[in-house]
Amino acid sequence: MAVSELPGGQFLLAKLDDVARWAQSSSVWPLTMGLACCAIEMMTATAAEYDIARFGSEVFRASPRQADLMIVSGRVAQKMAPVVRRLYDQMADPKWVISMGACASSGGVFDNYAIVQGVDTIVPVDVYVPGCPPTPDGLLYAVNLIQQQIRQGGRGGILARA
Amino acid sequence: MPSSQTPPAGATALDPTAVRPDIADARILRVTPAELRATLEGLKADGFTVMMDVGGVDYPGREPRFDVVYHLVKLAASAGTVAAVGTPERVRVLCGVPEADPAVPSIADLWPSANWAEREVFDLFGVRFDGHPDLRRIQLPADWEGHPLRKDYPLRGPARERAPRPNFALKSNVAAGTPASGRTAAALQKQIAAARGQSREDETK
Repeated sequence: MAVSELPGGQFLLAKLDDVARWAQSSSVWPLTMGLACCAIEMMTATAAEYDIARFGSEVFRASPRQADLMIVSGRVAQKMAPVVRRLYDQMADPKWVISMGACASSGGVFDNYAIVQGVDTIVPVDVYVPGCPPTPDGLLYAVNLIQQQIRQGGRGGILARA
Repeated sequence: MPSSQTPPAGATALDPTAVRPDIADARILRVTPAELRATLEGLKADGFTVMMDVGGVDYPGREPRFDVVYHLVKLAASAGTVAAVGTPERVRVLCGVPEADPAVPSIADLWPSANWAEREVFDLFGVRFDGHPDLRRIQLPADWEGHPLRKDYPLRGPARERAPRPNFALKSNVAAGTPASGRTAAALQKQIAAARGQSREDETK
């Protein structure tokens, strides 16, 4: 973000776009949605050791209306798929999706009738995190990537849609 | 312990014994669907007040094809003596169900705990429980077709059944002469060696 300081130090000048992106990228609030064992790692990412609050994403919202980020943390059963899609539809724009772990990304070891073979068949995914399960820092890196996307005005960014 | 069961017709490779020997902690009874309710009512009156679980088994090729299995427990408290505390008595009731008309009477009115268990067996095996108050699918979506725990249900579901599985370059595949989309183990090792800047031949020397 380009910020210039006026002589005297009373003002900072910046483009409104940049300020908005900075604010938006620093408060990516995830949806409270744990699907399987990856959710344990997701919870660990919120705890003191990894502390997702350092990136402004500690506020897991219990309502999709208040959430910006959907973390698909685990395998998606065929029965859960319409629910995931509905939650995604209920989230307000702009919104992002992280597909966390092998099962959410591809079905993982569950190559069977009951599991959706990749959550990208039902919702658009911004970042895939490999691992089974991914480490919490893997998830933090995914959040960082989404923050980068927002600051550069990428897909779903408030200004990309204008 | 001698078995008191009437064997179903015909043992198969999947169910070679057909008659299960009674085991140490559980008596095993085999009944027909017609005898089922009377047997279970008798057991309940006899003190087997806990219905632990209702399960299903599929023996394709056997007649009757399915077994519905009831696990009953007589609690030590009702067994009478202090010495019996800690050794609950168990009974397993096997009920053969024919494929042509897969139906048994429901016992959800005798044990409320059997309600959801029967729905699960219905959902996954397609066995009907006549007289059940609310016989809907419980685990799969309501519009699901088929019963996945039947042995003839394709693992990946009917829709994906015909899609070929990816053929990985496993050693066993290579040994069996299976072409693995051009990526044999030897070819992969060559690639890895090339990436390391050395050839396999050098390593073997």
